[in-house]
Amino acid sequence: MKPLFEQDHYEVLEIPRDAAPDGVERAYRLILSTYSEDSLAGYSVVRGADAAAIRERVETAYRVLSDGDARRSYDASLAGSRSAGEPEPMPEEEVVEPRSAPAEPFEDLEEGGDFDGARLRRARLRRGLDLEEIAGKTKVNPSYLGCIEEERYSELPPRVYVRGFVMAYASCLGFDPGAVAASYMRRYDAERPRQRRRFSRGT
Amino acid sequence: MSANPGQNAVLADAPAEQARAPRRPPAAIPVGGGKGGVGKTFLVANLATALARAGHRVVAADADLEGANLHTCVGVADPGPSLADFVAGRTDEVRSLLVDTPIPNLRILAATHGNFGHAQPSQADRVRLMRQLRELDADYVLLDLGAGTHPAVIDYFMIGEAGIVVITPEPTSIENAYAFLRAAFYRRLQLAMLSHRVRDLVALAMDERNERGIRTPFDLLREVRALDPTEGARFVETMRAFRPRLLVNEARTAEDVKLGFSVRSVCRKFFGIDAEYLGYVNHDEAARHSVRSRRPVVEAHPRSDAAIYIERVARKLVAGLARSGSTAEEEA
Repeated sequence: MKPLFEQDHYEVLEIPRDAAPDGVERAYRLILSTYSEDSLAGYSVVRGADAAAIRERVETAYRVLSDGDARRSYDASLAGSRSAGEPEPMPEEEVVEPRSAPAEPFEDLEEGGDFDGARLRRARLRRGLDLEEIAGKTKVNPSYLGCIEEERYSELPPRVYVRGFVMAYASCLGFDPGAVAASYMRRYDAERPRQRRRFSRGT
Repeated sequence: MSANPGQNAVLADAPAEQARAPRRPPAAIPVGGGKGGVGKTFLVANLATALARAGHRVVAADADLEGANLHTCVGVADPGPSLADFVAGRTDEVRSLLVDTPIPNLRILAATHGNFGHAQPSQADRVRLMRQLRELDADYVLLDLGAGTHPAVIDYFMIGEAGIVVITPEPTSIENAYAFLRAAFYRRLQLAMLSHRVRDLVALAMDERNERGIRTPFDLLREVRALDPTEGARFVETMRAFRPRLLVNEARTAEDVKLGFSVRSVCRKFFGIDAEYLGYVNHDEAARHSVRSRRPVVEAHPRSDAAIYIERVARKLVAGLARSGSTAEEEA
């Protein structure tokens, strides 16, 4: 491990050298929020000028790595400094690459089986997404998304809409929308008659 | 003290291949976090049960003599033999204190019936206890640590590199977790450094308001290198080997899930500690119900959110230990 101000831009953003542009973007947002003034993770140890200095360093790294040309040029300079045989600042210290990309925490542990509301919620949390973000992408009201997760079918509009919402939601999570909708709607069809038909009565 | 009469039942249930396999030391997994009430005991009980249900031979040890209740979480009303017997000198054999649980493959070392006059074991007793735990005939030994950063707690975290730090999405928990990690790292350093002058420097750095202005392990490393480059190299080795695992409990939102990554970042950037984000366990009423019924949630409500998350953490833990080839023998 190296102190922050000896880290290169990739180390600052805690991403591998081959991180895709959206990985750079996600990492930037996460690190920036980590060192924001009201951050739960950072406030007790990194405050004031220290936090501001880290944010500035993060902004610099992001400016370079989010710009294709600037990044290529930076990569070349990193490779150049290596090939010129310049010593690393702390040669005996190995930089440990992050073992998983931020905000895509546990994709290797995806579940099997049917898609119910709880499974959709777990998949959403695993991707670090809140309901508002899903709503922003799908244009589905977040309260409906919440009802889908909690299987409060009677508070949802008619079936045809629910199926569409589930497909949009599944697509947003990277699942096959048709497969998820088929699985979810089987459960819906079995359970829906048992729930009070509050929505259809217009209450 | 004689062995618990039911003790061998667990071994008899173990698969025949395991019984025949050459014995290797168990992987030791201490679970701490600094703050009380973050779910350490609940998680130890459930991770141990998840591992036992997967066919591993597991011992869950309660190292919290002042707040022992691991036994209750796994459905053992009165364990009888306990760590307190070892501390009081009534027995020298930790394995004779192990007690069966209703869960096949899971035994516990309870910490009931402590002497409140001198609740904590001496450092020598702690060393003996950890050595004997590492010699148990088991695949995994999980340790439930008490709250705080006293050496009586922190020393148990030294039993293995696979230590888990439990945090909840609350400022008090995060604050205490950093204090715990810092104390654990400095304690590890104290034990690793050979030079008296450097050990004194580490002791000085443990005081957050030290007069030399050493605030982080990076500051300390600079000072150690200036004092003794060989010790500086040893410092870096110690830093590299210290890989605590972060576990977020009671996660309710996506922000809570991301908290593990943020804490990991602070550990890396500010403390130079390469923590791993092991996973998170969702807030779930089923967990509360399971504690009330004195059964692990992974057994009582295996389809609940909490159980699914815990099973996932257990799988990730096993996979990580297998990748690193971590055993107590190598960690010792």
